[in-house]
Amino acid sequence: MTLEALAGEATPARKASSSWQAIQTISRILRFVKRDLRGGIKGFGIFIACIAIGVGAITAVGSVSRTLTDSLAREGRVILGADAAFVTIQREATAEELQWLGTKGKLAPVAYLRGMVRADDGNAVLVESKAVDSLWPAHGKAVTAPSLPIQDLLAERDGVFGAVADPLLFARLNLKVGDTVTFGERRIALRAELITEPDKLAGGIGFGPRLLLSEAALRASGLLQPGSLMRWSYRITLPGEAEETAVQALVTDAKTAFPQAGWDIRSRMNASPQFSKQIERFTQFLTLIGLTALMVGGVGVANATQGFVERKRPDLATLKSLGATGGFVFTLSLTQVLALALLGSLIGIVVGSAIPFALVSVFGHLLPLPLNVQWQGGEVLRGLAYGLLTTLAFAVWPLGRAHDVPVSGLFRDALEPDNRWPRWRYILMTVLAVTALVGLAIVFAWDRRIAMLYVAAAAAAFLLLRLVGVGVMRLARRLPRPRQAEARLALANLHRPGALTPSVVLSLGLGLTLLVALGLIDTNLRQQLTGSLAAKAPSFFFMDIPNADANRFDAFLKSQDSDVTIERVPMMRGRIIAVKGIPAETYKASENAAWVLEGDRGITYAEQIPANSRIIRGEWWPVGYRGRPLVSMTREIAEGLGLNLGDEITVNVLGRNITVQIASIRAVEWTSFGINFVMVFSPNTFAGAPHTHLATLTFAKPPASIEESKLARAVSLAFPAVSSVRIRDVLQTASEWVGQLTLAMRGASAIALISSILVLAGALAAGQAARIKDAVVMKTLGATRRQLFMAYLMEYGLLGAVTAVFGLFAGTAAAYGIITQVMRLPFGMDWSVAFSSLAVALLVTVILGLIGTWRILGQKPAPYLREL
Amino acid sequence: MLDRSSPPAILLDNVHLSLGQGPSRVHILQGVNLLIPRGEAVGLVGPSGSGKSTLLMVLAGLERADQGQVSIDGQDLLKLDEDGLARFRGRRIGIVFQSFHLIPTMTALENVAVPLELGGKANAFERAEQELQAVGLGHRLSHYPGQLSGGEQQRVALARALAPDPAILVADEPTGNLDEATGNQIIDLLFKLKSERGATLVLVTHDLNLAKRCDRMVRIRAGLIESDSMVR
Repeated sequence: MTLEALAGEATPARKASSSWQAIQTISRILRFVKRDLRGGIKGFGIFIACIAIGVGAITAVGSVSRTLTDSLAREGRVILGADAAFVTIQREATAEELQWLGTKGKLAPVAYLRGMVRADDGNAVLVESKAVDSLWPAHGKAVTAPSLPIQDLLAERDGVFGAVADPLLFARLNLKVGDTVTFGERRIALRAELITEPDKLAGGIGFGPRLLLSEAALRASGLLQPGSLMRWSYRITLPGEAEETAVQALVTDAKTAFPQAGWDIRSRMNASPQFSKQIERFTQFLTLIGLTALMVGGVGVANATQGFVERKRPDLATLKSLGATGGFVFTLSLTQVLALALLGSLIGIVVGSAIPFALVSVFGHLLPLPLNVQWQGGEVLRGLAYGLLTTLAFAVWPLGRAHDVPVSGLFRDALEPDNRWPRWRYILMTVLAVTALVGLAIVFAWDRRIAMLYVAAAAAAFLLLRLVGVGVMRLARRLPRPRQAEARLALANLHRPGALTPSVVLSLGLGLTLLVALGLIDTNLRQQLTGSLAAKAPSFFFMDIPNADANRFDAFLKSQDSDVTIERVPMMRGRIIAVKGIPAETYKASENAAWVLEGDRGITYAEQIPANSRIIRGEWWPVGYRGRPLVSMTREIAEGLGLNLGDEITVNVLGRNITVQIASIRAVEWTSFGINFVMVFSPNTFAGAPHTHLATLTFAKPPASIEESKLARAVSLAFPAVSSVRIRDVLQTASEWVGQLTLAMRGASAIALISSILVLAGALAAGQAARIKDAVVMKTLGATRRQLFMAYLMEYGLLGAVTAVFGLFAGTAAAYGIITQVMRLPFGMDWSVAFSSLAVALLVTVILGLIGTWRILGQKPAPYLREL
Repeated sequence: MLDRSSPPAILLDNVHLSLGQGPSRVHILQGVNLLIPRGEAVGLVGPSGSGKSTLLMVLAGLERADQGQVSIDGQDLLKLDEDGLARFRGRRIGIVFQSFHLIPTMTALENVAVPLELGGKANAFERAEQELQAVGLGHRLSHYPGQLSGGEQQRVALARALAPDPAILVADEPTGNLDEATGNQIIDLLFKLKSERGATLVLVTHDLNLAKRCDRMVRIRAGLIESDSMVR
């Protein structure tokens, strides 16, 4: 079947034509395309740029993500520091477990414990300590400054253990290499800065800077007490280059040999699941931004194609008068457009593929992961598919009109623009292309639910913006005519055939909505973190308070300042092993609850229902309850795990598996900053088990920073084992983090905004020739430059204002939904965001609009009249 | 009826004009002298490239002469800047083009109202409607140019040119894009309306029969007036 036949002129003779004829047709079309493109690609600059930006963004995001995940997979042994790691919480492995592990390969234990490092001036900083054996690191290389063998740096000399620490610790305590500090009950010498830690990712992200010391030093610190919140990672390196199956066999054997161990097992194939998940989340977010850029660019594609068909009408009519069929004319036009889309996609692919190389060479050293960048063929193909499908989705409709360009139009003075619907086959082709595009976006999404929501939101946004455009045109048509000529012209320009209104509202509206939504989310989050939350938050969290010292600790705090409120609860670490009898690793949980099943969680027990929570189902256990172990769960997690009253979960605490029944489900007010836990157990569940306490301290009056520092120093001196976290610092850090995150989001969104502005510029430029012609005629009829300028200024100003108002409403609605429904925080309007967005929209529209028309204002009409 | 008591409608004295840059610069008008009294109809004829359309543009204030005097309706056009020329055109000169030059995105009524709106006339649309009725298009007010035939479009252009009640009406091959019958209708209308308003008409044409319908025929060749004779 020939392309002409495919395009619809399928006479029986053509249907029977041989493949030779098809080749001839293709070669004829390509010949025509080549001839036509000889004249350059005028009018397609924005088209190519839109496709290149969208494809470039998607290819870049995919390639960076693939580089990271490939590196994670390839470097699993280095990242984990072994082939497999068996992690126990709040307990060391038993002799039996150690003996078994020792027979499987080279065993290297590493311990993690949070603690306070105190300088001689009394200032203390929370650190994440890591105690290693003499063989660390078993894989990869640790870099220190000065560069000395790790074991020399950590060795005990003259009764003082050595340690190396994150440069951040030196900065926070104003220390230099060689200074000594107190950690627990021991003095340690900070002999070097820790620059690179090969297995950093496997340890997860902690509260404070890293302090690396020897296992002997940690034991000597006195911080390893029963109930201490320590984590031991027993790492096994199998002999030689072990196959993945051997690693998997080791993991399976360990589970079988020690079903009660409750250890969290990691293999080198899954060295840092949290990091992998973060990469996937971020990839999805950035891919959606790239898709938004492509969708916005699609409007540019449609505009450019529409302009192309309009420009080509006389040529296409001439071709038809010479014997070309409608199908041939369509196929010819489509081939040209696809050739240009291919060019745009190739530009995007080249730039997008180069970005990972550039990023790694500039920022690679900042990542705790050895990166190996490669050309990602799969991502390139995906980018190409997105580029071509977007072109088809947005270009086939306007190109379909080329099929029916009337030859009779050649005999009139001008061929009028055609706004009829194209033939059914082109509508069907458009629907197929859109379906394929949506399918591609959903199939390749990490979270398909989010992808589907995105597709629905994008469709709704397009429809809404289209309706706004039509509504504005109708309103402008019905408004009474202003008395002033310029205002009358401006208003009339909003609703005339071929008016810029729909294009401007669509292209700028999408970008502006994104800008407003991100701006409001940013200011609301920051306001919460530095304002509302900070005001009601306690001043301190104290962790790891030994059970035996708990009452003495309360008394100590009261002795420092009698006017404080102290809230203290017992705390342990536990890991969910099974849900309703199904192992946690195979249990299907919803996305928002899955994290509870990954690794260990803080848990507590209580006689009374905790403050800031209320029972919504079931009942709280009576005081002095002695029956079957019970648990109360938060609503979100119970729903996410599909749990109801009476269901059972098995939790491993201190190496024991305990199966408990759900007695109640609670709603928790997390933003109250009171102490609350996802799982609160009945006290009899852990009777007699060693544990520590967690406490908060709230001053009656907002304290000065110096008072807080004084208290922190006193606690650190009197209770070396207790870790203090100043909430002011946490909120400040969180606020900065939110700021950086939203900055990154805005940076990424800038891609969509650039596309938006490009499309707007394209839409304005497309109408420029007609504008110039109109301006010349009006000058001929007596219009002055001022009159024309004012009319255009008002027209563009009105368009910008209408779009800004829409963007403001839509962006505010989106931000309101995210803040109140997703984040469950109160929403506050920030008028500076509103007004700055309004100003951006007005400026962009007016400046871009006037750039084109400015030229004509000073020109004499005669030269143009000669050309017209 | 010609008015010879007041200043002439058009006075050109030794008008020179060159167009283009460098080697491609062409000396088009090479010292044109022309005096047209008020109310007179003048046919400008001559071969292609003789400079008749350029001359029309000069006296419509669309092209500025390099040298000489151009006085239209008593106003020295060389003393006006770009905007001054535009205002003057809007008030005193009506132009009809061969290609109509209607604004395609405006209805017939809006097209005719444009010069009135620009001139700040309060009843622009009422007057525009009257003008369209005068050219027989009262039933086509809300039609766009694309929805009108060539003859209808030229009638809209004629209504637009006459709407501000100009002293001078200039027409460049107004029937060039029309069939003979339609062209004749347009010319009949043009002369009828010109007579009713007492405007001065300058008509550029290749058609000698059409030129002969004017009071006077001026023949241009190589940028100079070759002959100037009264037709009747």
